Amino acid sequence: MLLSESARVTTAQEARFRIQTPNSKPRAVKVIALDSEAARLVDDISKKPWNGAAFFKSLSFEQSGDDNVKAWLNDLAGHTSDLVGEVANADCVVVIAGAGEDAASVSVIAELCNHYHKTLIALVVPQGSYEQDTVDRSLKALRPHAKMLVIAHERDYIEAMLTALRA
Amino acid sequence: MLKKEQNDLVTQTGPGTPMGDLFRSYWLPILLSEELPENDCPPVRVKVLSERMIAFRDSEGKLGLIDEFCAHRGVSLWFGRNEECGLRCPYHGWKFDTTGQCVDVPSEPAESGYANKVKLKAYPLIEKGGVLWTYMGPAETTPPEPEWEFATVPLNQSFTSKRLQDNNWLQAMEGGIDSSHVSFLHRGDLNNDPLFKGAAGNKYNLADSKPVFEVVEAPGGLYIGARRNAEEGKFYWRITPWVMPCFTMVPPRGDHPIHGHFWVPIDDETCTAWSFDYHPTRPLSDNERQAMKDGKGIHVRYVPGTYRPLANKDNDYLIDREAQKAGRTYSGVEGIGMQDASLQESMGPICDRTKENLVGTDNGIIMARHRLMRAAKALHEKGVLPPGRTVEDMKVRSAAVILPPDQPYKDAAKEALIAKVGVKQTSV
Ligand code: FES
Ligand SMILES: [Fe+2]
Repeated sequence: MLLSESARVTTAQEARFRIQTPNSKPRAVKVIALDSEAARLVDDISKKPWNGAAFFKSLSFEQSGDDNVKAWLNDLAGHTSDLVGEVANADCVVVIAGAGEDAASVSVIAELCNHYHKTLIALVVPQGSYEQDTVDRSLKALRPHAKMLVIAHERDYIEAMLTALRA
Repeated sequence: MLKKEQNDLVTQTGPGTPMGDLFRSYWLPILLSEELPENDCPPVRVKVLSERMIAFRDSEGKLGLIDEFCAHRGVSLWFGRNEECGLRCPYHGWKFDTTGQCVDVPSEPAESGYANKVKLKAYPLIEKGGVLWTYMGPAETTPPEPEWEFATVPLNQSFTSKRLQDNNWLQAMEGGIDSSHVSFLHRGDLNNDPLFKGAAGNKYNLADSKPVFEVVEAPGGLYIGARRNAEEGKFYWRITPWVMPCFTMVPPRGDHPIHGHFWVPIDDETCTAWSFDYHPTRPLSDNERQAMKDGKGIHVRYVPGTYRPLANKDNDYLIDREAQKAGRTYSGVEGIGMQDASLQESMGPICDRTKENLVGTDNGIIMARHRLMRAAKALHEKGVLPPGRTVEDMKVRSAAVILPPDQPYKDAAKEALIAKVGVKQTSV
């Protein structure tokens, strides 16, 4: 039988001829902790080397003008930046919730992600001894907004996921 | 993306490797019962986890799985004579029983006891649900025998097939938990394949090609829920369980039989893709069984006399560009099983994951790899037995459900995800 192209090109030998030029550019991943438990995890993880991922430990709101509420992201060095700007410039937004703490601020982030057409990934990482219904509360707050919702009990999963996403 | 060392770790399953040890912690399907149809039938060569073995059914029906090569001068026992409770090497007549024990060395006086000094490596081989299973790990840590529902229902309720696939096990397994490809690669088949069409749920799949995912850890693996919009603000959920290391089930469609897969490494560059179909509460109809034999659904047609798919890389998978253009198939390859296999083989013998660009919706895959690596390291370095070995882990089912928007599928579909005798699958 004539050797088909598929048979030829799928050999290990042919794999040597794959183009090695990098196929991806650095991307802007914004990692936002939604509560103090998550902030501790994010703090740890941010110390590892990353490809430009930005880490924020909290979100704060400020009344500006009549009806306007301005949201600020606080990074680990104590700097603040404008949430709108960060989301607008993101390729992907990852929010992290330690179980049971207040995940309500996610709706503000989610609205912006929607507006700027950014994918929102939500990670719930229950730590220590936790109550199932507190996890459920976090999930309920996150579910309507996230394109991908993950419940991971192992904290090193956050790192594994960010690495996989080339963050 | 994985680093090179990580990719090596998850893809290498030979003896002594961490992932090899992990695989050696489970009962694995390796042969169909039909391959050893009767006592004293011809022996069969099998390679699993990069180890070459010979399987046979002796004169009393005992099953043996032993080192392929004769202990005398290394002849393949595939040429052996399966007779009188043992496999006799045709070269000089040495004979081995199902435990690998040499029971006769004709050149030596029987009284000398020389045969007792020779034993081939052997693994247990058991039969369940029309499948022969082996466990290649330490005897002390043998897990409970397979209790997967497809292997425990009466044989007239199930159909199991296997096919050879020319690539590493992991890229094949990852295809099984990658729910987002269905709306693309298989879209032509949802309304045509006799084992898929007609289900009420299909329309949601076709109408909404951007599902939202929820990945939840299970004790033995994962649940991957894919959510699509249904009527009145409700959600159509398809829930795929993955049990470590290589078992998944596809969410059901209507009252069609439910199906799923195992991917078992033959060596690092080939694997066996197992495909099973069963109905928990009724016999398969003649039409269903015939469709499965004809390679419909997740099954394939074979090169006669082999388990190699008829559409394979030597014939470019019989690609039909007309059908692709007309939308009858999305990739031009016919049949769900071959659509998957052709693309997975095209990735190369061992997919180079240092070059991939994963996105948020790939979290099922990311999590599965993470759990595999973690478990393999824990076993290799600290002797911690991996998850997925208990009877409860094996009693899983996939499910398709419509739920109100505020209900988490993990709770709302809790019962639906457990296999129960005499209870129908939960499906839409
Ligand atoms: S689009 Fe997913 S592999 Fe190409
Ligand atoms: Fe598929």
